[in-house]
Amino acid sequence: MSAVLSWAGDDDGLPTQALVHPSRSRSRRSQPGELPPEIEQAIWRGCDLGAQAGEVVSSGFEALDAELPGGGWPCQSIAEVLSPQPSVLEWRVIGPALRAIVATGRNVVVVGPPKTPHLPGLRHSGIDEKHLVWVRADTPAERLWCTEQLVKSGACGALVAWLPQARPEQIRRLQVCAQACEGPVFLFRPAAAQHEASAASLRVMATFALDWEIQVHVLKRRGPTHEGVVRLRSVPGGLESVLTPRLQMPSRLIATREGAPRDGTHHAPARPALSEGAARPVVHEAAVHALGGATPSARARRRATVR
Amino acid sequence: MLWAALLLPPGPDGAPPSDEALRGVATWALQFTPRVATSEEAVLLELEASARLFGGKRALRDRILQEGADQGVIALAWATNSLAAHLLARAGIENGFKRPLEELLDALPMRVLTAVAPHEGILSRLGCRTLGDVRWLPRGGVSRRFDKLLLGALDRAYGLQPEAHVWVELPETFDARLELMSRVEMAPALLFGARRLLLQMCGWLAARHSGTTAFTLKWAHDVMRSKEAGQGGEITIRTAEPSRNLEHLCRLRAEHLAKTELKAPVGELWLDATEVVSLDEKSASLLPDEAQQGESLQLVLERIAARLGPDRVLRPVLTEDHRLEWMQMWQPVPMPLPRKTARKAAEPLAMPQPTWVLPTPLKLATRGHRPLYQGVLHLLTGPHRVEGGWWHRLGEGCDATTGHVQRDYWVALSEHAGVLWIYQERLASEETAWYLHGVFA
Repeated sequence: MSAVLSWAGDDDGLPTQALVHPSRSRSRRSQPGELPPEIEQAIWRGCDLGAQAGEVVSSGFEALDAELPGGGWPCQSIAEVLSPQPSVLEWRVIGPALRAIVATGRNVVVVGPPKTPHLPGLRHSGIDEKHLVWVRADTPAERLWCTEQLVKSGACGALVAWLPQARPEQIRRLQVCAQACEGPVFLFRPAAAQHEASAASLRVMATFALDWEIQVHVLKRRGPTHEGVVRLRSVPGGLESVLTPRLQMPSRLIATREGAPRDGTHHAPARPALSEGAARPVVHEAAVHALGGATPSARARRRATVR
Repeated sequence: MLWAALLLPPGPDGAPPSDEALRGVATWALQFTPRVATSEEAVLLELEASARLFGGKRALRDRILQEGADQGVIALAWATNSLAAHLLARAGIENGFKRPLEELLDALPMRVLTAVAPHEGILSRLGCRTLGDVRWLPRGGVSRRFDKLLLGALDRAYGLQPEAHVWVELPETFDARLELMSRVEMAPALLFGARRLLLQMCGWLAARHSGTTAFTLKWAHDVMRSKEAGQGGEITIRTAEPSRNLEHLCRLRAEHLAKTELKAPVGELWLDATEVVSLDEKSASLLPDEAQQGESLQLVLERIAARLGPDRVLRPVLTEDHRLEWMQMWQPVPMPLPRKTARKAAEPLAMPQPTWVLPTPLKLATRGHRPLYQGVLHLLTGPHRVEGGWWHRLGEGCDATTGHVQRDYWVALSEHAGVLWIYQERLASEETAWYLHGVFA
């Protein structure tokens, strides 16, 4: 309360300094109404990013960590990730955080995903078969029940659930249960849910961008409102190794391609080769990897010759 | 030695309490100690060894006093031996440790000792009023003129002679009966009587280190009932997990009783523990138990599998195959993972793979030889040819086909649907078709 009063008192003299961060305003010690430094440190102001009460798991993106209270996804709480379309960017957003969780030997439980998780791709996020459980819950009631049971048990390292039809009171119930849960709980919901109230302590909107980026906007957090978006570079599923320099910016590629006159032979089905010169595949009995065409790995070549 | 005596109220006509009532309280008391005996109208407990388990003597006394009141216990007394505790309870003195036992007992009226009753007339004419007066009579004369029982009882009460007890044994199954004090016409009003029965059941479960998953509450209608009401009714209440938590069971039972309608006034109640399973309690240790975590995930997955079906709680298994459909299998969680995958998992990751796959590939429309999925797709990199599987026989008999595939996989980019994993397959008569098979999410 006294902090508010000091702002009000400052208004006539130094209106611009009233909102200055407390650490920077320490030089004005002599003014009446100034708080002792130890008390000032203990005050959380609305313009500062709040601290998370429990532990956090780093999101793996420095830019995103800087915007999240406590510097990561919250444990003992629900994090809602909204996206316009399901199964477009989920693993890219939370993959780096899951890698850290699986590395400590804890399990990732997936409830009601929109498509089948594909482990060979998830291994690029550090998830292995010993630490992934897929709960195939189909109806909304089953998903909610499974999620609640898993949250209450608090036994999974991270819980990832798709609850497109959950109502606000159901989210609130999960949030209350999650306070006893050690790991982070990610709920994936459609973008339309941003207009509903939610008890989740953190809500982010994640959208897909062309240039190997995802854009994250924090809708709700303990702290000031987040303006703009955080652009996070993330290349999914091990594609990093096959991206040629030209493919690093697909938006430019598409722009030039769209701008160029439509060339019928360019995308002929018999030769769907791109301008960067993907070689025609060499066919062996078994699978041959000709991705990118330029440098098939030594291992793949050896395997092909053995078979 | 720490003895407690719990006194039950006499029946309506002054008769001593029934065996059934004594046994009910004794069953409840067995959760505190295995040394429980009944004597006349009292239940006697030896609690020296249990005091620490229940949080100290003070906490134990408070709990026995509170739960005992629900059981209908009218007096409680503590002393160093059972007979002294019994006598103090009859005299209405609770604490037998406040002063030396002789001092306390000497002051009691001699009626409290049952062995005095046959000789009360003679003793009162001799001028005896209290136990102290009787004790100070010369022993030789007392043993000649009265029977041995009087001296024996006095000696036991003062702790000069050892006591022998027949311990109450725990029944193998639990069923308890309760006659209600008045006729009950509304089902929720049965709660009070049923609570007493549940308290006994919880005591019985605690003594057996078990929990219940189903218990049955039956009631008998009063004799003065209409013909169509029938003999009585019953409800069986089931819980998901074995439990002996009184509050939890009471709440469950209240929910069920609220929905029940009684057809006639009820005079009697029975409670059966139908299904009893052993229950491991959490260790009450100071340090939290780390090993408990993994086990509890197994438990919760088991519970989910029990509701959804075992084939819906799955764990992936990698197989050595290049075709996307057979690259991994899913198996129910309790099954152990095959050992050889450990070698496979250790291999470095070279190949890009999608993180979602479609259960069946989705055939895409094309426009000008370019595949469409939420708009025109831009092919980024490829082709990645996967060919093989002619050895893989699917189905039986004449409909058998092979899992042979011949596909060129491409990484495609859509402005809305993200990074996709699509393939082109050669169909009959030089036709080709595009399919969506996975998403790099």
